[in-house]
Amino acid sequence: MLPRRSRLSVLVFLVPPLALYAVAVLFPILQSLVLSFFSWDGITDLQFVGLSNYAHMLTGDPVFWRAFLNTLGYLVVCLVLQLGGALLVSALLLTLRRGREVIKTLYLLPAVISTVAIAFLFQRIYSFDPQGLINQLLSWVGLGELARPWLSDVNTVLVAVSAPEGWRFSGLYMLIIYAALLAVPQELEEAARIDGASRWVIFWRIRFPYIRPVWVTTTIMAATYALRGFDIPYLLTNGGPGQASELLTTYMYKTAFTSTNYGYASTMSVFIVVECLVAVGLILLLLRRKADA
Amino acid sequence: MTKNWTLAVATAALAALTLAGCSGGGPTGDSGNIDPTGDIKPRQISWLLSRNSADPVVTTMQGIADEYAKAHPGFSLKLVTTPDRPSYIQKYETLAAANKLPELFDTDATPFAQNLAKQGRIIDEEKLLKDLGIYDSFRPNALDYQRFDDGSLYMIPLEYQAEYFWYNKALFEKAGISVPESLDDFPAMCTALTKAGVTPIAIDGADGWPLERYVSYQPFRVAGPDYIKQLKTGKSSLTEPAGQAMTNWLSDLGSAGCFQKGFSSKGYSDAQNLFTSGGAAVYNIGTWELSSLATTKLDASVRDDVDFFTLPMTDGSPTAANDFVVTSGIGVAVNSSTFDPLVKDFLKFALSKYYSTYAQSGALSPTKDVTTTIPADATPLYQKAIDSANSAGSDLVMPWDTQLDPTSNTTVQQDQVLLVQGDMSPDDFTKTVDDVITQNAPKYFK
Repeated sequence: MLPRRSRLSVLVFLVPPLALYAVAVLFPILQSLVLSFFSWDGITDLQFVGLSNYAHMLTGDPVFWRAFLNTLGYLVVCLVLQLGGALLVSALLLTLRRGREVIKTLYLLPAVISTVAIAFLFQRIYSFDPQGLINQLLSWVGLGELARPWLSDVNTVLVAVSAPEGWRFSGLYMLIIYAALLAVPQELEEAARIDGASRWVIFWRIRFPYIRPVWVTTTIMAATYALRGFDIPYLLTNGGPGQASELLTTYMYKTAFTSTNYGYASTMSVFIVVECLVAVGLILLLLRRKADA
Repeated sequence: MTKNWTLAVATAALAALTLAGCSGGGPTGDSGNIDPTGDIKPRQISWLLSRNSADPVVTTMQGIADEYAKAHPGFSLKLVTTPDRPSYIQKYETLAAANKLPELFDTDATPFAQNLAKQGRIIDEEKLLKDLGIYDSFRPNALDYQRFDDGSLYMIPLEYQAEYFWYNKALFEKAGISVPESLDDFPAMCTALTKAGVTPIAIDGADGWPLERYVSYQPFRVAGPDYIKQLKTGKSSLTEPAGQAMTNWLSDLGSAGCFQKGFSSKGYSDAQNLFTSGGAAVYNIGTWELSSLATTKLDASVRDDVDFFTLPMTDGSPTAANDFVVTSGIGVAVNSSTFDPLVKDFLKFALSKYYSTYAQSGALSPTKDVTTTIPADATPLYQKAIDSANSAGSDLVMPWDTQLDPTSNTTVQQDQVLLVQGDMSPDDFTKTVDDVITQNAPKYFK
């Protein structure tokens, strides 16, 4: 129990940020929740519709489910590129004796480039006519028949819009995981090596369990960022062609600001909040359980 | 302590509910009050517009505003421009929802704008233009384009544009073809051009509206201008012959390889560059591009090869050959809640000078009493394009993006790409679009 004076000072320091958080974060979420029970086009009167927005979203809107599945696909690509790429590169970095700083900086660079610039860059990389980088590389290695307009092909567009987001932030997660790997005690690894453990066993049995708390945090960060991903897909394809790269976020944005159906868009935003909370819960559950096992 | 917190959270939730409950619905105004009383008090007025800052509409209006400011110290016209149309619409609709629209703003005669009119939030332009004594000087087509379905007029036209199929004669010759006489000749035209190694049609697929023009052509020729008015309200459907002609035609255009590969992610300037560099044979665009297509600014290597044809007919069409896409562009609405003696006086001054000055810049005026000045660097095609626009018929091809409710329009713009790419069958397209219109039209066309 804190003495009375300290309790007061804790309150004095905690209340302003909490109040700010309540106004800036909780209030809008609450307002979305309220708005999700209404039908509103922004200019005429609000109409209370009860749960019908939710009923329509869950049972009567195929585009919503298409967007939901696309979001899961986007999440998988982002996680593989960001976490897989980050783990691989940071593990390789540890084996380097020179040039670590240069590689780290180069790898982190995309995280500081503006989203719009990245979208332009990838628009050119994926271009079919004039031939972009990917199609050029394919024709150089004799796989010219695989060349295609990556952003217009319904089979490739989802991965094509997810990859830039994955590529962009993998450097950031690499830096976090690299720092965690550096903290793994050398004695443990040396002891294992003397006992004849292979590199893979050292990584899987010693390094990885040691960085698990950091891994959980980065997974949560990457997953929630990916579930909220919006800008690059919106700029590259605006959800198209058709709904092939429509994410929940782009669909919600269009519903609110193009269709001016603010009530239904709020229903989707509530779904996105719930979806992020569920994702965080699942990650904690899975990784904690593994840690306990 | 815990109890207090629960109480605080509950109170906050209640406050949020009350606030949200109160914030719905904008204030209603008076569209018909075109005679505001009081003195003219100069101040800054704003115009939210979706035009390029180098657009003659903007430069002409800016010049007039500067002139007005000299006689009225303290007056200025602030231009808030967002040339990208989809971004503009989002901005304007959000401002409307927040009731923060400025004195003047651009809008098409969309269902959303009609809701604003119904609430009395924009000025009745038929009354205002008649009051200013200029109503009768407009071309009927220019006013009709701005009208809502009930015939009411709430937007001022500032331009007049005709849309043509620009084509490259040399590439047509290379493919051994002539100008298509019917819309149904398009697939064969594309096949011949593709065989000759030429991209048939350059199109900006990223923006949606250019391909949506192609969506509107067959229904217009087959059933006339009323079809879209029936379709958008759910009184007609795409299963009608006019709709089926369209879905099958678009699908055929796709299988004939009419549009450049990867067109869905190509923008406005990509398409224009493809045509003006001689890379594509056909380009469907309006007279707002005359300065880049019919002047010496056009690349010398294609300059003499470029010509245009108007929207081809179909067999048994109820429309005339000179009925094609003629628009008076995005119009200007006047906010009724900020309409005061100053705004009225400025509009009176501006509109009395605007149309003649605008025509001197080489553009077509929506009024019929001024003549377009042909620029010094124009090719003979310039005059031909102006003459053709002047002889346009009275049935207008209404662009579907200004007609459909926003949700149905988004669906059409997204799925038309799939239809053309062969990723969606004409039947599926028909069903999807009909369903979305049935679901959304009642909200907009009460």
